[in-house]
Amino acid sequence: MKQFLKTIFLVDLLQGLWVTFRNQKPSLIYTEQYPKERPSVAERYRGAPRLNVHPDTDETLCIACNLCALACPEELIVVTAERNEETRRKELTMFTYDTSRCMFCGLCEDACPVDALELTQDFELASYTREGAVWDRQMLEEGPLPTEYKH
Amino acid sequence: MATHTTFLDTNELVLNMGPQHPSTHGVLRVILKLDGERVLGTECVIGYLHRGVEKIAENRTYQQFAPYVDRMDYVAAVSNGLGYCLAAEVLGGIEVPERAQCVRVILTELNRIASHLLWLGTHALDIGAMTPVFYCFREREEVLKIFEKYCGARLTTHSFRIGGLQYETYDNFEKDCHTFCDWFEKKVDEYEELLTTNRIWVGRTKGVGILDAEACKAYGVTGPVLRAAGVEWDLRKAQPYCGYEKYDFDIPTCENGDTYDRYLVRMAEFRQSARIIRQAVDSLPSGPIKGKVSKVFKPPIGEAYVSIEAPKGELGYYIVSDGSVQPYRLRVRPPSFVNLQALDEMCRGALIADVVAIIGTIDIVLGEVDR
Amino acid sequence: MEEILNNPYVFPVIATMLIIALFPLVAGYIVLAERKVLADFQVRLGPMRVGPYGFLQPLADAVKLLLKEDIIPAAADSWIFWGAPVLSTFTALTAFAVMPFSDRFYVADVNIGILFILAMSSIGILGLILGGWSSNSKYSLLGALRSAAQMVSYEVPLGFAVVTALMVAETLSMQGIVQTQYDKGIWIAFSNYGLMLVPTALFVIAGVAETNRAPFDLPEAESEIVAGFHTEYSGFRFALYFLAEYASIFVLCGVAVTVFFGGWLRPFANVGFLEVPLNVIFPILLFLLIGGGCGIGTMRVSLAYEKGIMAVLTLGMLLVAALFAIPAVNVLIIGFFWFLFKVLILVYMFIWIRGTFPRFRYDQLMDVGWRYLIPISMGSLIVNGVVLLLTS
Repeated sequence: MKQFLKTIFLVDLLQGLWVTFRNQKPSLIYTEQYPKERPSVAERYRGAPRLNVHPDTDETLCIACNLCALACPEELIVVTAERNEETRRKELTMFTYDTSRCMFCGLCEDACPVDALELTQDFELASYTREGAVWDRQMLEEGPLPTEYKH
Repeated sequence: MATHTTFLDTNELVLNMGPQHPSTHGVLRVILKLDGERVLGTECVIGYLHRGVEKIAENRTYQQFAPYVDRMDYVAAVSNGLGYCLAAEVLGGIEVPERAQCVRVILTELNRIASHLLWLGTHALDIGAMTPVFYCFREREEVLKIFEKYCGARLTTHSFRIGGLQYETYDNFEKDCHTFCDWFEKKVDEYEELLTTNRIWVGRTKGVGILDAEACKAYGVTGPVLRAAGVEWDLRKAQPYCGYEKYDFDIPTCENGDTYDRYLVRMAEFRQSARIIRQAVDSLPSGPIKGKVSKVFKPPIGEAYVSIEAPKGELGYYIVSDGSVQPYRLRVRPPSFVNLQALDEMCRGALIADVVAIIGTIDIVLGEVDR
Repeated sequence: MEEILNNPYVFPVIATMLIIALFPLVAGYIVLAERKVLADFQVRLGPMRVGPYGFLQPLADAVKLLLKEDIIPAAADSWIFWGAPVLSTFTALTAFAVMPFSDRFYVADVNIGILFILAMSSIGILGLILGGWSSNSKYSLLGALRSAAQMVSYEVPLGFAVVTALMVAETLSMQGIVQTQYDKGIWIAFSNYGLMLVPTALFVIAGVAETNRAPFDLPEAESEIVAGFHTEYSGFRFALYFLAEYASIFVLCGVAVTVFFGGWLRPFANVGFLEVPLNVIFPILLFLLIGGGCGIGTMRVSLAYEKGIMAVLTLGMLLVAALFAIPAVNVLIIGFFWFLFKVLILVYMFIWIRGTFPRFRYDQLMDVGWRYLIPISMGSLIVNGVVLLLTS
């Protein structure tokens, strides 16, 4: 009997209507209006790669051990170094990172023993050319510069 | 007497639900043979998303291959990683510490919730209800935020490593999980209020796409589809892995094996997953997060097959090692691929509008079907 | 000048021209309102970029549809392909001729107004069938036939519900029906000891099905295999079909409001002491509130032209609120205000229903129409008739 009355008076349909109605509160709106509001990404976010430099001396922290290039599944890191005769150490000359093939897996970041290579929180990596996605040492140290939107 | 036949006179019509279609959950091509509105038979054409993942595995080291595994079932990437790491660990004889196992369970269950949320949203959208998809994605956002805070990526997480975990849990991990479970259970109540008793929803899903237990076992269908047919088979209870035997949870089953029952089973699985997460978070032991693994992982010659209960069914990894750093052969048993075989049987006698509902209810992800 | 104004054709012609000129704009804004209201239900924002809070979106849509390439299938029958959307739009807009927007603002008060509107909506179905047929694509034809069968089936309970109301109203003229509700002092929806609520509900449900809206929109569902009769239409022709659909929604809601909910009368039209609160204070407060909201919006938007538009809107709303305060103007526009208010509430309910429910499968749709709605509507007709007879 109760079921019959519920069917006649469309109780299940009204229940559904009430669910959508109460979700209309403006405080529940979940949209982030990108690019006006940039999302706040987590600290460990695996985004754009960056070659860190020593904060005081501005020298690169990379010791050119090539571990990141060996760890990468896509083999997109190319590290060239030359031996410095005075300090008898390898010094980094060129570092190429192909972001177009990178899958941001973080294996290179995990492999680096000195925390020189780091995947930062930048996620806006678009470029107008194919070649622009291959980053050299300077771009890796500066980081991508996303467009500032005025509105 | 010459008869003039038009397309309306012919009894059978072949219709192509092409690879580009809003309801085929990816690039799936279904060729339907229709008699008026009734489906006489279907044929699935797959392979549009084949990327040669298993072949790639033969050319990467075990650690290097782990990120590729996420891309198969891209909706629920964490389970893929779990299956692969377990298989590699069995092959290499590595023991995973308890803390790592517990965190693995938490993330896998969160991942199950995320996968079922996406299923619910898209299934409801296929049937015509356009609001649950937004609610489900809002909940999914919260899960993805937890993943992002833990391992740095939302979808292709690469969260587990062979031997354990790479990252220690972040500071508010337990609090986040508890907040999420509390908030989420209220949302499940909301979905049930919106859909479960709704006469239109019941009318569209009850009695549609019936797959009984015998047929399920014959096709090798696993996961919620099997459980909705009445078979109480869940690998987490039948062949426990990763410490699942420590947690107390039920396996929801239903009797009829139709679309409505699969819906009920997955809704119940939401609640069970939340239960497991709470227990795991409360009992999180301290300790190391990675077992003893050498930097260069060279398992001995042999083979291993490990299967886990992924959100979509039984996900199995079969790895053959020839003693080198790269696997000799890696074969994935994807649940969606095996479940998709049952599409033909489920669609016989249904109307065209039901085909869309049935494809949605099997819960396929083409990344997994095609690899 | 006096003679020209007193000429009986002047006002109707002006009203007609206003309707034809304004309706595309109104239809566009109903589409925008649908998108924003649906977005509200779906915890998101809807269009926000074109104009302040997406307010100029209909302009962008109109420009886009006009500039799109006009594709005509090679095998299509081009005259009928051209004529089908025109037919749909024509019938939908013609029904506006008898809509009683207010006690003095209408095009014509035909003494068979209701019959005219029902006839126009029936002819509108022909536009759908011709559209599907002329596309010369089997899927368009199937979709068009299904759509037409659905609309024809749901015309029956619609008609029965209206006839039940006509038994109470005792006249077919639209203005006459509103006048009857004024004389009886109660809206037809609540009269006859509440028994008329059943035809009201039936009318709304059949109306949703009649206009091919969710949950009865399988023929034009987006996740189905075909897009129905308008698969092959693009550009401006598609815009015409769209316009026809929203015009018919407006007409249907207008008919529901006129027949069941008192038309342009205010609630409790006969109760004297509510005259000032409802006719004066309520509209003024409403427009002040909307103006206040627009004012807050003016401060929140960032671009200069957006600020300008929002400022103009704010001033406009405040001006309208001021207009309602002048008794002479109030009498002229209050009828129109109440009519639009009620129609917009009903349109909101249509959008609410669309956002909540999944859609029926085609056989279930016809099931609901033939096995449930028609018997219930016939039953309500008999019951209401008997009760009216016994109590008159």
